[in-house]
Amino acid sequence: MKVDIEWLKDYSEIDVSSKELADRLTMTGSKVEGIETKGNDIKNVVVGKILDIKKHPDADKLIVTQVDIGAGKVQIVTGADNVKVGDIIPIAKDGSELPGGVKIKKGLLRGEESCGMMCSIGELGLTLNEYPDQIEHGIMILPSSYEKFLGMDIVEVLNLKKEIIEFEITPNRPDCLSVEGLGRETAVSLGKEFKNLHKNLDELKLENKKEIEGLKVEIKAPDLCYRYVARVVKNVKIGPSPEWMRKRLNACGMRAINNIVDITNYVMLEMGQPMHAFDINSVEGKHIIVRRADKNEEITTLDEQKRKLNEEMLVIADEKKPVAIAGVMGGLNSEIENDTEMVVFESAVFNGGSVRLTAKEVGLRTEASSRYEKGLSPENALRAANRAVELVKFIGAGEEVEGVIDVYPTKQKENKIEMNPDRMNALLGTDISREEMSNIFESLGIRVEDNMAIPPYFRQDIEGEADLAEEVLRIYGYDKLKSTLIHAESTAGGKNRAQKMEDNLKNLLKDKGFSEIYTYGFMNEKDLEKCNLKEENKIKILNPVSEEFNIMRPSTIPSMLNAISFNAAQKNENVRLFDISRIYHNDQNQIQEGNLPSEENMLTIAMYGNCDFYDLKGYVENVLKECNVKRYEIRKEENKLSYHPGRAANICVGKDTIVTFGEIHPIVQENYGIGEKVYLAEIHIDKILKYASKEKKYTPIPKYPAVERDIAIIVDEAVEVGEIERVISKKCRKVLEDLKLFDVYRSEKLGENKKSVAYAIKFRAEDRTLTEDEINTYMNTIINDLEKELKASLRT
Amino acid sequence: MKEEVLKMKEKAIQEIQNAEDLNSLENCRVNYLGKKGELTAVLRGMGSLSAEERPVIGALVNEVRDEIEKEIGVTKQNLKKKELEKTLKQEKIDITMPSKKQELGSIHPITQIIDEIKEIFIGMGYEIADGPEIEYAEYNFDKLNAPKNHPSRDLQDTMYITDEILLRSQTSPVQARVMETQKPPIKIICPGTVYRSDSIDSTHSPVFHQIEGLVIDTHVTMADLKGTLEVFAKKCLGEKTQVRFRPHHFPFTEPSAEADVSCFVCGGKGCRVCKGEGWIELLGCGMVHPKVLQNCGIDPKEYTGFAFGCGVERIAMAKYGIDDMRLLFENDVRFLKQF
Repeated sequence: MKVDIEWLKDYSEIDVSSKELADRLTMTGSKVEGIETKGNDIKNVVVGKILDIKKHPDADKLIVTQVDIGAGKVQIVTGADNVKVGDIIPIAKDGSELPGGVKIKKGLLRGEESCGMMCSIGELGLTLNEYPDQIEHGIMILPSSYEKFLGMDIVEVLNLKKEIIEFEITPNRPDCLSVEGLGRETAVSLGKEFKNLHKNLDELKLENKKEIEGLKVEIKAPDLCYRYVARVVKNVKIGPSPEWMRKRLNACGMRAINNIVDITNYVMLEMGQPMHAFDINSVEGKHIIVRRADKNEEITTLDEQKRKLNEEMLVIADEKKPVAIAGVMGGLNSEIENDTEMVVFESAVFNGGSVRLTAKEVGLRTEASSRYEKGLSPENALRAANRAVELVKFIGAGEEVEGVIDVYPTKQKENKIEMNPDRMNALLGTDISREEMSNIFESLGIRVEDNMAIPPYFRQDIEGEADLAEEVLRIYGYDKLKSTLIHAESTAGGKNRAQKMEDNLKNLLKDKGFSEIYTYGFMNEKDLEKCNLKEENKIKILNPVSEEFNIMRPSTIPSMLNAISFNAAQKNENVRLFDISRIYHNDQNQIQEGNLPSEENMLTIAMYGNCDFYDLKGYVENVLKECNVKRYEIRKEENKLSYHPGRAANICVGKDTIVTFGEIHPIVQENYGIGEKVYLAEIHIDKILKYASKEKKYTPIPKYPAVERDIAIIVDEAVEVGEIERVISKKCRKVLEDLKLFDVYRSEKLGENKKSVAYAIKFRAEDRTLTEDEINTYMNTIINDLEKELKASLRT
Repeated sequence: MKEEVLKMKEKAIQEIQNAEDLNSLENCRVNYLGKKGELTAVLRGMGSLSAEERPVIGALVNEVRDEIEKEIGVTKQNLKKKELEKTLKQEKIDITMPSKKQELGSIHPITQIIDEIKEIFIGMGYEIADGPEIEYAEYNFDKLNAPKNHPSRDLQDTMYITDEILLRSQTSPVQARVMETQKPPIKIICPGTVYRSDSIDSTHSPVFHQIEGLVIDTHVTMADLKGTLEVFAKKCLGEKTQVRFRPHHFPFTEPSAEADVSCFVCGGKGCRVCKGEGWIELLGCGMVHPKVLQNCGIDPKEYTGFAFGCGVERIAMAKYGIDDMRLLFENDVRFLKQF
């Protein structure tokens, strides 16, 4: 909401600077977004009178003029063709400044001296909107009566200096979407008296008629239309509104149109009540019906757009057709025309939610709808209609028709709230007296009767004690609030196991050279394909911010690969990333049944550059060690096609897969335009938490010596070392302390499809020194089993 | 004889002192004191001496041997020291050669800010709460006193999955969930990801992070809220930070406030970061609206509470001087490793 400070002065004395005013209003809750100053950029422009005009000796399109600028005569050369001797015009003197940083200096124009410039309205930063009598391309011609201002500063004469405050009004304060409301806030904030300019309207008694000039009003949807007030003016002469009105509208960011429309806008700005004016003859049967629209009904609005309506929407209609979308915009069919003679002012109040939905659905947010949707007070409607009629008479645009049609099915209730200063002080942590509170309430128009506070009609937002407390505090001063700490039972606080585990993992990975990344929870559906992923029950976003992000991700692979691909494109080398974030699943069709989908926390790590599968495996094992997961199995993974089918694995506990990791499938890697092999692990941290052992127990450091034996065997290429290790450890678990693979060797000598695998086996018993015989027995068993189960032979 | 021995001594000492390294010193020792050494030979030849001479010469030889041994000992120490010095000199390296790098990773700036805030509030006895990102409209709005068609729903462009299920546009639904399941006293903070349909630019992202706080107890006041936020602001942004409350409106708090902090770049004098204002808008807060308490099963006559919530990206950007929000989600390691 933009307001000219001058206009605020109608309601309150202002004896502080604009900056101070803005600060005070901000601190009482009417947040000032900024102050726009107009007129400061015009310097040394004065009122002048043309004394003489001669043709330029050297240029057909120029004239040489002599101009009286009060303090003497100057010569000015111009190309303008709308001036004549005797015209009063604005003159930018030598050394003057115009909006946009334009500087005017004396100079020669085709050999003739020109000591300044005559100005058009555009050059003064003005618009046709404010000065409809002027022309756009040509010199501004001032009224001849302005001769008395000869030589005076144009800024003073045209009253161009303006300071316009822009407010950010919170949705609970529709009353402050009006100059009257902001005027009241100004008065309270500065400790001045609020000047009630419209007392006469509040006290006005009018006969409530069923019919005026044949016009009738009927509300068929009283749940959506709380009040409908109609007033009529006759013998209307449509024309421009007076300059003061146009200027005020313009300052508030509204365009002037004609006197009647300008009055509706002026009253809306002044009192916060949107109004609509229409030609009484455009209403068929002179019967206004406020009703829900019919299915498939259509209306062409004032902006010449055809709009489709539905049964949820409220319209103002005559007997045949809708003439306006209630609270949003009028119809083109009832527009005020230049020959309109009798005008109906509609001042109605509609259900805010309904206007909001309608405006959203027809895609039209107007000054009116943005006020209505916040919930306006029906009590304001009548005074606003009367104000419009008052203004018609004041500017001589027409004549009043006696009486009013006021259909007001359910009267706005007065809210009475118990006033309990102790409880309010207890909520705020203040010590404000009852008297001070009462004074604050009175200044805001809140009546105090006995122990009750009764908010005025325009403050429907004050519903309970907490609202009253806020009113007290904002006027008392938020800045006077003390700072204390809670006096209460102390609480332990802290992180839970999952939170601590997450912290530990982050630190571990950071130490291992991984950088944490942040990714979006949504993704592009097409990225599933890019990653060879399949998802049956996708979670689609109805109104995504862009099609690029249209589903919630069922996997972190796409977002991680995006980050990897970005880094690869920047030519960053040896990149290692990790991400802790969520994936979302609708695998039970929860959403369709009205339930929330499942969310799972994932740790995703990925890398490229100087690394291979086994580096990744090592990091995954580090993660499991950090989380104290002790028993798990590593199994081949051949079916998740984001991965290379021969280079991927799962880590499982029982039936649960807690990690999937491996090399990214070459096709997927190519889809992301990554030129190197990428290794990626999806770690289900919620599941890991389930299997993470809480216990940490000490095992005594061994007292007896260990014995080490090396063994090298030749097996078929297809035999995996995991198998060999299983066979070795099978029968000597108790004494097997460690099993270390130290060599894998292939050669022609060994034969095709053969490999030699060598282990260092470390035996140790807890309770004694193992004898040579015992060790030999174990070794023989191991060799036997390897020969039997894996057709292995000892390498000699 | 006696003179011979004394001469031998002088010669030996001379040779010892001239020894250039441990080897020649050892040779000296063998030459005089070894089994075949000169002094040993004197002792062996004592049989040919007279009975009077024998004890005298014997004592003299022992004396001379002690002296030689002593001299050898001293020289040995000196030579060892010299040799060590030589070795140390030889072992000198160029310490400006590059290190063998142990590449460190990094923690994302958003995490670092969240961690810092968590630590501050854990120190004041808060717990950390968490909730779903895909949330019921009921929790994101209705229970928080923003029923359908409430104008405040317009302030946030929310993304929907169905009419009733949405991507949470704030972390506040976690508060509602905690209030429903826990009995007061409640002291929690909830950091989390939130979603709004803002297009991506240098100051907007459709995904960002909030951290909210909630306290419910029997005697909680708005002054307590201010005091708590002051502790937070001072610890997070520096001891000199001031907090200013400005009236504002949120559907879930009443009274509501916006809390500004004195600019931590210029200290309040006015600079580019605070746009010359001296103050930076930090967060929204207020006393939990009685309707919200009621909606969540807490008796507003018995309990009061406060809540606050702030955007993490904004703090991170201001604190680390990051001028483009996109950097936070691009995940370029050259950016990430600066933190």
